[in-house]
Formats: sequence, structure tokens, C-alpha cells
Amino acid sequence: MSHDITHDELSHDHDHKPKGFVNRWLLTTNHKDIGTMYLVFALAMFILGGSMAMVIRLELFQPGLQFVEPFFFNQMTTMHALFMIFGAVMPAFVGLANWMIPIMIGAPDMALPRLNNFSFWLLPFAFVLLAATFFIPGGAPAGGWTMYPPLVLQGGQNVAFLVFAVHLMGISSILGAINIIATIVNMRAPNVGYLNMPMFVWTWLITAFLLILVMPVLAGAVTMLLTDRYFGTSFFNAAGGGDPVMFQHIFWFFGHPEVYIMILPSFGIVSEIIPTFARKRLFGYVSMVYATAAIAFLSFIVWAHHMFSVGMPLGGQLYFMYATMLIAVPTGVKVFNWLATMWRGAMTFETPMLFSIAFVALFTVGGFSGVMMALAPVDLQYHDTYFIVAHFHYVLVPGSVFAIIAAAYYWLPKWTGHMYNERLGKIHFWWSAISVNVLFFPQHFLGLAGMPRRIPDYSTQFAEFNMWSSIGGFAFGLAQVFFVYIVIKTVRGGQKATAQVWDEAKGLEWTIPSPAPHHTFDDYKPVDLSKMAHGDNH
Amino acid sequence: MSGAFFTVMKYLIVIAFLFILYSMGSALFYLSRDKGQSSNTVRFLTVRVVLSVVLFLFILLAMKMGWIVPHGLQLKPSG
Amino acid sequence: MTEISENQYYVPHKAKWPIVACVGLFITVIGASLKFNSLDLEPTTPWLMYLGFAILIVMFFGWFGEVIKESEAKLYNKHVDASFRAGMIWFIFSEVMFFAAFFGALFYARTFAVPWLGGEGTNLATNVQLWSGYEPVWPTNGPADLNGRFETISAFALPLVNTLLLLTSSVTITIAHHALLANDRKKTIIWMIATVLLGATFLFYQVEEYIEAYQHLNLTLESGIYGATFFMLTGFHGLHVTLGTIMLIVITIRLIKGHFKADNHFGFEAVAWYWHFVDVVWLGLFIFVYVL
Repeated sequence: MSHDITHDELSHDHDHKPKGFVNRWLLTTNHKDIGTMYLVFALAMFILGGSMAMVIRLELFQPGLQFVEPFFFNQMTTMHALFMIFGAVMPAFVGLANWMIPIMIGAPDMALPRLNNFSFWLLPFAFVLLAATFFIPGGAPAGGWTMYPPLVLQGGQNVAFLVFAVHLMGISSILGAINIIATIVNMRAPNVGYLNMPMFVWTWLITAFLLILVMPVLAGAVTMLLTDRYFGTSFFNAAGGGDPVMFQHIFWFFGHPEVYIMILPSFGIVSEIIPTFARKRLFGYVSMVYATAAIAFLSFIVWAHHMFSVGMPLGGQLYFMYATMLIAVPTGVKVFNWLATMWRGAMTFETPMLFSIAFVALFTVGGFSGVMMALAPVDLQYHDTYFIVAHFHYVLVPGSVFAIIAAAYYWLPKWTGHMYNERLGKIHFWWSAISVNVLFFPQHFLGLAGMPRRIPDYSTQFAEFNMWSSIGGFAFGLAQVFFVYIVIKTVRGGQKATAQVWDEAKGLEWTIPSPAPHHTFDDYKPVDLSKMAHGDNH
Repeated sequence: MSGAFFTVMKYLIVIAFLFILYSMGSALFYLSRDKGQSSNTVRFLTVRVVLSVVLFLFILLAMKMGWIVPHGLQLKPSG
Repeated sequence: MTEISENQYYVPHKAKWPIVACVGLFITVIGASLKFNSLDLEPTTPWLMYLGFAILIVMFFGWFGEVIKESEAKLYNKHVDASFRAGMIWFIFSEVMFFAAFFGALFYARTFAVPWLGGEGTNLATNVQLWSGYEPVWPTNGPADLNGRFETISAFALPLVNTLLLLTSSVTITIAHHALLANDRKKTIIWMIATVLLGATFLFYQVEEYIEAYQHLNLTLESGIYGATFFMLTGFHGLHVTLGTIMLIVITIRLIKGHFKADNHFGFEAVAWYWHFVDVVWLGLFIFVYVL
């Protein structure tokens, strides 16, 4: 049942990695190995979800039905979203948190290492369950990732699989978040105060609170779907006194904080990278912390702006409109702080910096179209058109995904001990940055002209922009395959990285060798605060 | 007794419930902060138990005296 | 086994239980999905689901057994203890949010959905066109009168007894808690046994109440929004009481075996806290589901 704890396992100086696949990966409690697994899993799901996007863009290349059945097309849009949100973006952030947070705060590991293993391994099982729906009668979920009833309940046999998959992902996220909070609160080196923590750690602390607050609500909402579908309850059935709109309220109470769960850690990443390559301190560190907290708080009181067109009392529309626009204030604080950090800095433009600058510029584009849609009267025009598709892809792709890619380039040398190829990295950046705009910018025009989302066919007036968008899509997809190549090449070899990696970079991660040893900061003792970016705060 | 009276009674009960939640939250806070070293956790839990009992007795009394009527409205006649 | 010093942090190796837990959960939900999808067909026994449950039960004993063994081997210092505390707190908080979703549904239905169906505010057309003659009262099984006429459980009957039982149990566990702090093991054990018995009696009456509802009152899961919110809220609460009772039993056995000290009893406190949590949820249920 249990194994004897040998002296060897408790000794300080061992750096031996467990031998064999099962010991090294399946039974691991090491935060770095679990972080690696999260990141590899996220990359795999990113490619899988991306190939679904390719099917979507292929079908939309021209008007008319060319390649896939409309029903399959709907499965693609739904599954693309679920895979990207729960399979790619969120696990990628958790992976980065696993790898970096213990190192950044001088902790030996995550606070609850066994639980950490559990959080990760739930995910592959959840996605096998979800992907299995492609092969059952009735096919995969096709009612959109928002799972609105009554449409989603007409999904044949997939409802149970979908709901349970979401449950498993939810358990994984909640336990992961609990672990991250326990780590940050309890595992900091004795002299590291809250206001000494790197920005990435701060944003993740706040994100973890959001996760614990909203993932159980999603679990509750989908449980009600399950009982409505199989056990005759009437939560979302007006004939029984329920209300389908109630699902939308509960869902978006989860859903709006969820979109910040997918962006706050990116803010943290960019706040690490920009000071490094501008060779300046992060401008307004404390205001960054407060702005993050303010965004997190506001995320709980704006959810119904996703539902303006479903009908709500006038007072509700006014309230949700103004509350939503308020979010632009702390977000603006952040954007200006990044700009001020770069202002008169000795900037160099390595790949992580390029992706970060693109993040600041393009995320702001997505933010602005968000403010446009916050206006209740005009939102009735934009709702469920390609404008919203363009909006959330601007904040998620050149937003979250660019930040994750930037983080990968930034910390790859620390993880693998090898420098990535800078020339290939720059090609990847320009290829991605140009194609992502060709892909998503025309969708603004399509939406304003009235093209609805989630349809496999469209009126011929939309043909030209759709063609451009599809060309951009294929180019962007190919660029990410190129990224996989660069990552594999870096893992396998390349110029040896120094411990410092980037000159001037501050943070405890740069005080340990590259590649990072299997165990770091084994003893609970003070760290050298002067090595931390904000070590002199008090 | 008027409708306003019933409403006040309802709010009273809800507010008392919020106090119970608060004392439970405080116990939770000390569970973490004092790490089992002080008696704060158990003290707040005691407060919460006492409050719960008082509220329960109050609800009993209120129902007995007709200050609140379970479910406010009557069951609809027939379906 | 080596004791661990204060400036180290115990990191376990070769955690085999998490993957067992994943497999168990996976098998359980696949079994449940297959069963749910064949509900309309001839009755089948969901063996796969039961297999999953069995794996999960073995996993819980294995996982917690390992943790208890490590705890008794003094591998956990104050630092590890603090991590467990933080973990338990935020776990319970996530449970609170899970219940919040269902309480929210109850609130929304009573405050908005049902009055709107009755034509409140700007919704007169809804009432006249779609559900003409529907009067928005609570409790309701909706304008279509789903599942036919039903009666509700009187707050004065079993729910009152159950409230009394759970409240008493939170008093007894608090006494046990005080006794443990005072290092009075015998007293602690006696009051813990009382708590377990009270919890089990609560569960017994809860089952009685469900039987009563299904057999005599025609109140079922299918009785519109009232039936749905009633059974889902009380059902999930009952599930938590069941888990809590099992946890109390385990803690009592550990007390008898001599585990826990006045200054080192995280396991006890975590379970006591969980019990207070299910008690407060019940109080909320009693107020919002049965009384108001």
C-alpha cells in the first residue's frame, strides 16, 4: 500500500529524476514534471482544436456547402470552443503556474503535490470522454459551447458525456486553483512578502480565486441540464415554471469571470516579459495589482451583458451596460503601465518581446470592440454576428495565446537548457502576427454587415471577406505547426542557455541553473530579495 | 397582520442567517490563520451554533404565532 | 522513517492514488452516461458505474490511509499542516459556491421566472398568449401542471425534527471539539459518537421524507420547478451529510486509536468544519425551501 520513505528521498542534494515512464510521469508529484505535462497536453489540444477551426474556415472559404454537413459544422464550432478553452488555454496557464510559481516565490514544490498530479491526470480522461461523443449516436455536442437549453438538450446521447466531461474539467480546475492558492499563501520563502511577488504570481493568485468561485457554479448549471434531460426536472422548462433564460444567467455568472480566467495570467506574463526587454522596472507595480483585483471583482457583476438581446428589464440593461464599461478603467491602467514601462527603455526585440508587444496592441483592439458591444442598444445589432467572433478571438488569440507563446519562448531556455533559434522565432512571430490579423480583422466587417455566427453557409455578399479570413486562418494554422517544430527542435538541442538567459532579467527563476534542476529551493530559508524584480517593495 | 409585517419577518430571518454565515466564515478564517493554536476557531463555531439555535427557536415561535406562514402563498387549489 | 525538520517541506513521491482516482471517476461517469442514455429502454444494472464507485471507495481508503500513515510518522510539520488547512478551506468554499448555484436557481424561479409566467411587469402577453389563466403561486409545478397535483412537506413535520437533529449534532461536535482542546479524549469520543448517531438519524428521516413525498404527496423530481429545486437542493445536501457522517465515523475511529492531540488535530478540525458547513446549508434549506 505505501512505500518506505528512505533517507534518500528526503535528502537535499539529489537531482535524480525517477526512472521509467510510469514513475516519471504517471506517479509524479514534481511540479516541474506536472507543469511540463500540462503544457504538452495544452499544445496537443491546441493543435486538435485548431484543426477543427481549419474545418470551419475550409467550409466558409466560399458560399455554399462544400465539404461538411451543416450538422457536422455545428459540432466543429462547439467542440473547437470547448477544446480551446478547457483543453488549450486554461491548462497552458496552469502548466505555466506549476512550473514557475514555486520557483518564483522560492518554494520547494506545490503545496499539495499529490493533488497536483490528480488535477492534471483528470484532464486527459475528461477530453477522451468529450472526444468520444464524435462516435456515439447523435454525434458530438452541436449546440454551441455555451450549452444553452433547450437546444443542447436535443443533442441525443451526448448530453451526459458532455456534462460529465465538464464536471471532470471543473474538478481539475478547482483542485488546481486550490493548490495554487495554498502554494502562494503558504509556501513563499520566509522573507518574500505579498508585494514582493512577481506580477505573474499575483495575477495567478487572483485567477485562482475566480476559478474557485465560478467553476462550481458551472458544475451546478450543467448538473441542472443533466437532470432536465434525463430525470424530468424543469429548471429550464417554462411549462414546469422554470426558465431557459435562467440557464443563461447561471452560465454567464460563470462565463464572464471565465473569460478573465483566460486573460489575467496573460497580463502577468506580459508584465514579466516587457520589463526584461525594456530593461526597466515594471511601471506602477502596485497599481497593476490593484487593477487586476478590480478587474476580477468587476467580472462578477457584469455577466448579463452577454444576454442583452434575450430581453431584460430596462434597469438591468442600463446597469449591466455601465458596469461593463467600467472594466475599461482598470484594463486601461494596465495598458498604460505597459506602455510606460517601455517608454525610454533600452529595448531589444527578441521573440518573447515581439509577442508581448503584439499582445498589448492587439488585445487592446479586442478590448475596444468589447466596449462597443457593452452598449446595450447597439449590441442588439452585433449580437451573434461575426463581430462578436472577431472580438473574442482578438482577446483570446493575439491575447491569451500570444501571451502563452511569449511565455514559452521566454522560459523555454530555463526549462530545456537550450536557446531556441532566434531567427526561426522571429519568422514564427511575423508569420503569426500578420496572418492572425488577416484571419480575424475582416470578421469585424462581416459582423457589422450582418453575417451571423455558427452557420456553415452565407449570402454571397460576404464571400470576399470570408475568403481572406480563411486564407489568414490556414496561414495562422500552419504557423503554429511551425511553432511545434521550433519547440521540439529546442528541446532536442541548441545553443546552451546560461542561468541568467536574458541579461537584466529579474526573478528567482534566473538564479537557478538552466535547465532547472529537478528539485529547487529544498530548504525553507530566506532568498536574495535583490534578485527579485520587486524585492525592495515593502 | 399586514403584508409589510410578513416581509419584515422574512428579512429578519434572512439577516439572522447572514450573521450565521458570517460567524462561520470567521471560524474558517481563524482555522487558517491560527493553525489550530488558538481557540478562535472553536469560539466562532460556538457563536455560530448558538446563533443557529436562537434563529431556529425564533422561527418556531414565529410560525406558532402566525408571524410567518410557510410558503407565504397558499397551495393552488387543483390542477 | 526519518522525522522531518521544521525547515523542510515533505513532498511525497510516487503518488499512485491520483491515477486510480482518475480511472475510477472515468469508469463511473461512463457507466452513468450509458445508464442515463438507456433509461427509456428496459431496466439494466449499471455494473460499470458500480465498478467505478468501488474503485473510488478503495482509492479513498488508500489515499487517506497513506496520508494518515505519513501524519502519524511525523512527516508533516506545521508548514504542511498550513497547506492542508488552506486546501480544506477553499475546498469547502467551492462547495458553498456549488450550493449557491442551486439556491440561486430557487431564488430566480421564485422572484422572476414564476411571476413573469403569471404576467408580471411587461410580460402580460406571455401570460395571456401562452399560459392563459396561470396564477403564479409558490409552490408550483408550472403552468402546464407537470406531473399533476402535489402537496408539499410541512415544515412542522419531519423537517423540524431534522433541523433539531442537525443543530444538536453541531452542538455535540462543538462539545467534542472543546473536549479535544482540553485533552479529554474519553469525553471527545463519547460526544463524537453522539454526533455520528445524530447524523445517521437525520439521514434516516430524510429518506423517510422522500418516501412520503413520492408515495403519498405525489411530490417528485418531475413536479415542475418546485419538485426540481426541492429534490436537488435537499438531495445534494443529503449526499453531503452522508459523506460527512462517513468522515465523522473515520475520525471517531482514529480518536479511539489514539490519533490527534490538543495541538495537532487538523483531520478533526477539517471534518468538524465540514460538518458545520452541512449544518449551515441545512439551515438555509430549512429557511428558504421549507419555511419561507
